[in-house]
Amino acid sequence: MQFPTPEHLKYAEKKFSTPNGLGATIFETDVVGRPDMRYGGKKLTDPVNMIEDKWRLVPAFLKTRGLVKQHLDSFNYFINTDIKKIVQANSIIKSDVDPLFYAKFTDIWVDYPTVHDPQLQTDRKITPHECRLRDITYSGNIYIDIEYIKSRKIATAGKVCIGRLPMMLRSDRCRLSKKTPKEIVEMGECPLDPGGYFIIRGTEKVILIQEQMSKNRIIVDQDRQGGITASVASTTQERRTKTNVQYNKAKKVVLKHNSFTSDIPICVVIKALGILSDQEIVEIVCGFDPVLVDLFSPSIQECAKLKIFTQQQALEYMSTKVKMGLRTFQRGQKRSALDETKDVLQNMVVSHIAADNIKGSTNLRPKAIYIGIMIRRVLFAVRDGGIIDDRDYVGNKRLELAGQLLSLLFEDAFKSFIHHVKREIDLQLGRNNRTAVVDAAKIIKSHSRHITETLFRSISSGNWNVKRFKMERAGITQVLSRLSYISALGMLTRITSQFEKTRKVSGPRSLQTSQWGMLCPSDTPEGEGCGLIKNLALMTHITTDSEDEPVRNIAYILGVEDINLLTGIELYSNPSTFLVFLNGITLGVHKNPLKFVKDFRRLRRAGRIGAFVSIYRNEQQKTINISSDGGRVCRPLIIVENGKPNMTDNDIKDLLNGIKGFDDFVKEGKIEFVDVNEESDSNIAMYEKDITYITGTEKQILNEMTFEAASELYNTTHLEIEPFTILGAVAGLIPYPHHNQSPRNTYQCAMGKQAIGAVAYNQFTRTDTLLYLNVYPQQPMVKTKTIELIGYNKLPAGQNATVAVMSYSGYDIEDALIVNKASLDRGFARVQTMRRFSAMIKTYPNGTYDRVFLPRDPVTHKIDPKFSVLEEDGICAVGERIDPGKCYIFKQSPVENGTTADGTRGAVEYTNTEQNFKYPGVSYVDRVLITTNEEDQTLVKVLVRQTRRPELGDKFSSRHGQKGVCGLIVNQEDMPFTDLGIVPDIIMNPHGFPSRMTVGKMIELLAGKAGVLKGELQYGTTFGGSKVDDMSKILIEHGFNYSGKDYVTSGITGEPLEAYIFFGPVFYQRLKHMVLDKMHARSRGKRAVLTRQPTEGRSRDGGLRVGEMERDCLIGHGASNLLMERLMFSSDAFEIDVCQDCGLIGFQGYCPYCKKRKGVSNIQVPYACKLLFQELMSMNVVPRLILEDV
Amino acid sequence: MSSQFYGDLRTQSPQRITYICGDCGVENEIRAKEPIRCRDCGHRIMYKKRTKRMVQFEAR
Repeated sequence: MQFPTPEHLKYAEKKFSTPNGLGATIFETDVVGRPDMRYGGKKLTDPVNMIEDKWRLVPAFLKTRGLVKQHLDSFNYFINTDIKKIVQANSIIKSDVDPLFYAKFTDIWVDYPTVHDPQLQTDRKITPHECRLRDITYSGNIYIDIEYIKSRKIATAGKVCIGRLPMMLRSDRCRLSKKTPKEIVEMGECPLDPGGYFIIRGTEKVILIQEQMSKNRIIVDQDRQGGITASVASTTQERRTKTNVQYNKAKKVVLKHNSFTSDIPICVVIKALGILSDQEIVEIVCGFDPVLVDLFSPSIQECAKLKIFTQQQALEYMSTKVKMGLRTFQRGQKRSALDETKDVLQNMVVSHIAADNIKGSTNLRPKAIYIGIMIRRVLFAVRDGGIIDDRDYVGNKRLELAGQLLSLLFEDAFKSFIHHVKREIDLQLGRNNRTAVVDAAKIIKSHSRHITETLFRSISSGNWNVKRFKMERAGITQVLSRLSYISALGMLTRITSQFEKTRKVSGPRSLQTSQWGMLCPSDTPEGEGCGLIKNLALMTHITTDSEDEPVRNIAYILGVEDINLLTGIELYSNPSTFLVFLNGITLGVHKNPLKFVKDFRRLRRAGRIGAFVSIYRNEQQKTINISSDGGRVCRPLIIVENGKPNMTDNDIKDLLNGIKGFDDFVKEGKIEFVDVNEESDSNIAMYEKDITYITGTEKQILNEMTFEAASELYNTTHLEIEPFTILGAVAGLIPYPHHNQSPRNTYQCAMGKQAIGAVAYNQFTRTDTLLYLNVYPQQPMVKTKTIELIGYNKLPAGQNATVAVMSYSGYDIEDALIVNKASLDRGFARVQTMRRFSAMIKTYPNGTYDRVFLPRDPVTHKIDPKFSVLEEDGICAVGERIDPGKCYIFKQSPVENGTTADGTRGAVEYTNTEQNFKYPGVSYVDRVLITTNEEDQTLVKVLVRQTRRPELGDKFSSRHGQKGVCGLIVNQEDMPFTDLGIVPDIIMNPHGFPSRMTVGKMIELLAGKAGVLKGELQYGTTFGGSKVDDMSKILIEHGFNYSGKDYVTSGITGEPLEAYIFFGPVFYQRLKHMVLDKMHARSRGKRAVLTRQPTEGRSRDGGLRVGEMERDCLIGHGASNLLMERLMFSSDAFEIDVCQDCGLIGFQGYCPYCKKRKGVSNIQVPYACKLLFQELMSMNVVPRLILEDV
Repeated sequence: MSSQFYGDLRTQSPQRITYICGDCGVENEIRAKEPIRCRDCGHRIMYKKRTKRMVQFEAR
């Protein structure tokens, strides 16, 4: 009998059977999996429980946003919007020579990546993978449309290339964007690769996320002397300034600013800004608060003592303190100190508050009010006993991404490009020869290298130099680590902080409560970067800049009263009046803040305001802050209204059906993005059962109650989507992390990145310098939801080992592991390493070129054994075994000997530049790739493969920060076995558990064992996952002990062990630290040229140093002969002739100083000692040796 | 080793080595000084063919 197709399958067929046959092969798996398997194969007809299934929003979120959406969003914003704004702001080039001339940029856009073909003189489309293989930069042309004067007529030129922009993979202008997984595979790319990085000359570079303090916001802080300061880092398009308002030891408020030589009494500043009456100053600072007035009155008195009553007097006073000549003037005019002061007040003091020009006079009132607010904040802090802002609060931070950083760089490069173009145009127009037509388009084209070079250089070196802001930062970019899939992914979510690492304050390093859900609490390195380098949590989004004009208009429409229309008394007279800020700029006041915020949020949920514009109230400061700036961290939450979450069962059903996506819920006002500040102004329920609501309170809040009473209410406003999203992608791999001691999870986060596994689907076509691959990777028996979401089950890094937790021999102490030899024979933890060697076969500008060939003996025509792996072309043969010392590419380069007088050259001389293999271990040539790079030079890449089975000393780890080395490899017959004949792969010593408290590992073993018996995978998701009770039940059902312990027989004696053994599968990772790469010994060997001491380091075949601590030991023992031997005879003993008369060093028994042979004796000293004497003598210091008989 | 040691002794190679195009798989010859380009599809990456000599592995 034929069953009808279930409804959900019909739907899947209809919707997803695209021409590309999506879902037909295993390659068509995106991050979330095949459409029909999406959401774990959950069917439409299955019952949907709200609490159970709202996690399905997470895959929906990741599907629409991807894992590194922050990078892509930021870069897309740059190439689509920001770059146009930059060009618009600098769009006209004028000439100093010809006033009629101008060139205007009318449009700018970035094209898809191309590569220039030097032979065909054309641009050709290029894929990222070809760039990696050929060491090319993946970059697209930046085109511009211009309008300019050409021989006194307006001419236009379209699509003029002004440079090349490195392209972020998977961005809007990447060849991979909007491609199906199948098409991506056809381009040689891995469909699971998240993108978000650049390819510069074949190396993958990531622009790390940079953490910074937010701009244009007042931060109240206490300095070391105890003075309380409100500071604001104003940032505008043109400049960055910092303004400080300080309450100093003399209990007076002063302005501290770079442009002034000393502190300025704040009332003088306010008077200089045009607010003259003390009454009004007090009103804009203190309102009616008598305590504040008391605190502020000394400052007012100070001003009166200085006899400053008018704006002119204030300006004159300030002009005595202004720093002159700080700012550059056009055409070298000198300005008076008074003009300078006016200029500083307008443009340098709180420069983000614009001083508008109204009818010829500048409106400085908003600045005065803003400074009043700063004073108020300081006085509040003083009044409340030094309660200052938390600098480490995530809401006070902004994250700078690739797009913003590139935009800074591009603007600088574009300005210098314009400068160069203008100079050239002036030069050409200035020539008397007017017959030659000056074509601006051609000049612009010829200067394209300025932009290209700046961008390429900065991304490849990581040095960001922006002249405008005097910014010089290093280490912005890093090479993408391809050790494993996880390490690459972890790198793209990494956040570095600009704080110096040496400072010994714990504040910036410690875990902030406001990191909840935004930054991963576990994933941070140990050591110097601890707490400073962070990682994004799974659902974090970082905002990009959005227009503030519409937001401002809406704020005014919703009843904000313009600050310019208010007197001081209206700011603070009514306690329910709140100040309204937009991106740190004062808009005005609102008399019903609760209603305003509510209305504003309602408009945002209706889509009238950008989804990432945030608004929150600050009750203490009585402010409402609206933010639309970029770099804020935010995350999605389900909106709860009237005690009911807006997401319903039906919505989840629609999601499962594929009718709706994540973005639809955002549009419908069911989910919203909440930033850290707004999060603090919300009541978020963890689970649906936690929602609290008191009926009818909404109306009370708006009409009857005071806001103090209203804020006491804790009606739930939001619901968490899923608790496991507080962890990041790397910490999400850990099963049952909520059962582990917290540092163990942090250790695992570091080790998960070192685990060897699959790197990408295209791993066998990649040519990385070093690539580690697991031969038989397995997906973990106990997975987590995060594992499925990031695709770790498709590119795993480890294997499920059967572990017996017991003691065996003595080779398992100190975390060492016992490994079953038969398991290794079967391929357990077998790893391949691929190492790339490359050589350039260059053609030189003088016409000579490198040559490669198979060298033969001139007489016998025989081939030296050293060249045995080479073929006729002088390059090693594929598949050939290659041993240390063998040559893999025989190359000769021409010797530079200059040309002869007539310009012709004689016979070219060559020198051998062959490359020899030097790594230990059995290696085979895996691939030889020959190509040409962008400069048309031939490039040869040789990949050498080694297969490594685990050996004694290789490092392993489970997923719980439990690392250990292989201590002993035991024959299977000597291993213990259970009553079912199961022999463990690994024996782990139980002493690893008590002090580390990694209970998660035990539960993983239990769940893994239950899963094996039942034939299904178990979940160890954070704050959820398979329950121990259920696991025990499964074990019992299959005739096992509920606690996971087994009856085990000793393999050595054949007797049963006295205890039951905790026995089951645990996911084990093989880490990259291998003995083969580290073992090293030497007796005699190379010496350094300068000191004649043994070289240092394994790579130079160096000696093992007897260091100063070892030396101290020997001194303590009085072993002077041993010391002499180690420090001199075995190192750099050297015979010198010393004159006993003058104490200087002679030679051959002769003292050249005393000019005699008598009394010259031959002694042994370390060569380094002789060197020191000679160096001292070169500095006119005479070292004299005084000899004695021993 | 002297710089001229192997210089003059380049054998008139008996047969030219062919390379496989990374895109279409066609066999190509590569000459010195000439850019690498598949004569069929224009692809610019070539791979060497596997050696014809015997290779012995230790199966462990």
